Amino acid sequence: MTSNKSMTAATIRQWSRRLFLTAAGGIAIATAVWQPVQAQDAEWEKVVEAGKKEGTLVLYTALVGQPSTKKIAKAFTEEYGISVEVLEARASEIRERVRVEQAAGRFAADVMFTSEGQTRLYDAEDKSIDPLPVTPNSQKIKPQFKLQVPMASVMTIPYGIMINTGLVKPADEPKSWKDLADPKWQGKILADDPRAIGAGYLWFFSTHDRIGEDYLRKVAGQKLVFTRDQRESQRRTARGEYSIYMPVILTDMSDLKGLPVKFIVPEEGVGYVLYGNVLLKKAPHPNAAKLYLDFLQGPTAQKIYASLGYGPVIDGVTEGLPADIKAISEAKLYGTSDSRRQNEMLGKAKEIFK
Amino acid sequence: MTLIHNRSLDDVAETAPTLGGNAVTRAFSGGSIGRLIGMLALIAILGFLTIYPLAMLLYGSLHSTPPGLAGEFNLNGYRAIMTTQNFLVLVNTVGISLAKTVPSLTIAVFLAWIIARTDTPFRGTLEVLITLPFFIPPILTAMAWGMLGNPQVGVINLVWRSISGSQDPLVNVYSYGGVVWHMCQYSIPFLFLFTVDAFRAMDPSLEESSRMCGASRWTTFRKITLLMMLPVLTSSFMLSFIRGIESFESPLFFGLPAGIKVITTDIYEAINHRATPDYQYATALSFAIMGLMFLLVIWQWALLRGKSFQTVTGKGFRPNVMELGPWRWVTFGFCVLFFVITVVLPVGQLLLGSFFRFFGFYTYEMLTLEHYRAVFSNSEFWRALRNTMMLGLLGATATMALGAVVAYVSVRTRWRGRSLIDGMAWLPWMMPGMVLGVGFLWAFAMLPGPIPIYGTVWALLLAYLALGTPVAVRVMTGAYHQLSYDLEECSRVHGANWFQTMWRIMVALAWPAFAVGWVLTFFGIMRELSASILLYSVGSETLAVVLLKLWANGNAEQVSVIGLMMMLLVILFRWVQLRFIKARISKL
Repeated sequence: MTSNKSMTAATIRQWSRRLFLTAAGGIAIATAVWQPVQAQDAEWEKVVEAGKKEGTLVLYTALVGQPSTKKIAKAFTEEYGISVEVLEARASEIRERVRVEQAAGRFAADVMFTSEGQTRLYDAEDKSIDPLPVTPNSQKIKPQFKLQVPMASVMTIPYGIMINTGLVKPADEPKSWKDLADPKWQGKILADDPRAIGAGYLWFFSTHDRIGEDYLRKVAGQKLVFTRDQRESQRRTARGEYSIYMPVILTDMSDLKGLPVKFIVPEEGVGYVLYGNVLLKKAPHPNAAKLYLDFLQGPTAQKIYASLGYGPVIDGVTEGLPADIKAISEAKLYGTSDSRRQNEMLGKAKEIFK
Repeated sequence: MTLIHNRSLDDVAETAPTLGGNAVTRAFSGGSIGRLIGMLALIAILGFLTIYPLAMLLYGSLHSTPPGLAGEFNLNGYRAIMTTQNFLVLVNTVGISLAKTVPSLTIAVFLAWIIARTDTPFRGTLEVLITLPFFIPPILTAMAWGMLGNPQVGVINLVWRSISGSQDPLVNVYSYGGVVWHMCQYSIPFLFLFTVDAFRAMDPSLEESSRMCGASRWTTFRKITLLMMLPVLTSSFMLSFIRGIESFESPLFFGLPAGIKVITTDIYEAINHRATPDYQYATALSFAIMGLMFLLVIWQWALLRGKSFQTVTGKGFRPNVMELGPWRWVTFGFCVLFFVITVVLPVGQLLLGSFFRFFGFYTYEMLTLEHYRAVFSNSEFWRALRNTMMLGLLGATATMALGAVVAYVSVRTRWRGRSLIDGMAWLPWMMPGMVLGVGFLWAFAMLPGPIPIYGTVWALLLAYLALGTPVAVRVMTGAYHQLSYDLEECSRVHGANWFQTMWRIMVALAWPAFAVGWVLTFFGIMRELSASILLYSVGSETLAVVLLKLWANGNAEQVSVIGLMMMLLVILFRWVQLRFIKARISKL
């Protein structure tokens, strides 16, 4: 009994010591972690204050005409009191503007909203962007969107298939990218031109890598009709010129409600373009720029994008969305293009789709 | 060749009166130092507007990287364009341009003759109406013709099938024919505007003499009327042909689905659709085309050199209006047919579509005024409209003033260097818009820091001035060619100074051409996108930039609303020009 008691007391002492050591160690670790966090918070607070003092942010965007840009700019201004001046132009135009401005010593813009592929070119060839700052929200994005190139990922634009419901019976609807090679669609597909950078090329690139060249050669035998105007092509298909248009920007679905069309998320998943923000060299408002980068990876901006059908880069922002929007926003990402192989793949596309 | 025996410029130079007056007056009126200063000023202005951006592009074509990046000088760009494929594309492009320019010029001249020289009923109204398509953004008429003439469900083909019972379509706009037709839609009104006033300025006594000598009406038309208009006809032919070579929207919209390639689509791809924009290739190709086009200008100089085309002399005249009798209803019918096909059909689609949620879906439940509300409540649209109106008014006036001076010096003086400025004024027209836009960007951004042009509204204004100068100079050159030197001399001998002579003679008699050039330039500014998108800054958006944003976001119906408003503006401008200004200036 005594020995039992002494054993118990020894055990308790032993545990107490362990508990003490554990607790002490825990406190030490927590203190060690907390101090830098506290320091980081303080550092970020300084960025916030400095950004507010700067008062303005100049944003260049290659995504022309998107209402989301204004919505997010407004939300950002409400959050920080910083006004956002937006200049929109197409990707090649905005890239040349930035390059020439910087070459001439005119550093007019702070942030540019562009694609991952363009960012690689900005970084490697033009040397016009700065490394990304670490911001509170940049730690919270999904791992697949943490990139090697200095772009703060914001959202994905999903591409799928559109059909005219008056011309395609429900039983015949294509369900996957592979279905487009079915001979019954010969002469009935309007396609974005895969021989030039754009949505068609994105489809070509992703299916080439995932399904294979044979598939593309089969589709080439379908006598596709090519176009380079995405929105007008959607209308042409809706009016009955063609049964299928592909690849379609799935987020356009809500703009075409009321027309005899259906947007299909292919079984394999959607082709996508990843968009994000880059910090331009010698930005005149560097702190406001950091705040903007952070804001677009935070829940407010992410919810705005998800509500429009774009794929968010953080979890937990698609709850409560209408089912059709949610399906697009959460669609499995199938493939994208890689600007490092652009010339090779464009050459291949020109060879297959003569 | 029939020549008119007015006194030639060679005679005039010997007898031109020497005037006193201030330095500016002397600069334009003959003093050798003043003349030199005047000429140098013109060369400096045109050099900055045309040579400087082109020099930047030439650098781009000869350097492995664009300005601002390290690289080396080489001829790789020019080597890369020398391919059989490019040669075939060039032949194709020239073929398409000729296929649209020749019928366009024929129809335009016929329409101009009907309006200016016959008693066709309602010709005043028709004059305004048949030019309307020119002022609508090409993407809108392309969309409208796509809806009308697609082989599957195009309205024309649906009607054709229901009438004929045929399964085959009557028309297919996605073809060579479609490309040419869509280009004609713009070149016919453009050429018409260019030629109609030259017909009005024709002294009927020349034609009467021909008829008196026994020539038939057709021979007179061919050998007198058309020949007297040679400067205008050759200028307008060249402007239209070169623009055809550089045309982009029509081949992209209607040609691409049919596999039709032209030079501009190749240039567009080199800039926009390669991993890294290949400016060296794009600029080299543009300069090669420019070289070929310049041969045309030299041809025109050779053709017009040493000949006189004066039809407006000191002797009073009224342009002869031919009485066609019952045939006037045939000419009226032709104009109405042209109006219906080129205006009513496409514009009708745009007008109808603007009242429905979606183009082409004309059901009761789709009826809406939403697009008008969206446009009217769009603050960015109003800002862009203000900017564009300001740039248009200033830009068109400045461009026409510059064009008038350049044309005057080049046509009506013997100043050394006049051919140089005439050639310089042609240059911007020969460079595809999308490449020239890049030239302006490089030129203005690379100016030394203290020169505050880049990033301001001045960059846009200067670019518009450069872009509009070729048309301004051609319009005024055509008009000045027709004015007799006797008129100027007479004014100056009677004591008028140079400015009075310019105002009372050169402006008052050439005002119709000036007004037409002004309208062309103004609406050119309203539609210009290639340079605007590269030069606008936050707050200085132009209408074309706003239209691009709306179009890119799928708001075709709102773009149509704005297009229709632009058309109303044209009607207003033309009405003011034809009714109000005409009455006032004729009294000068």
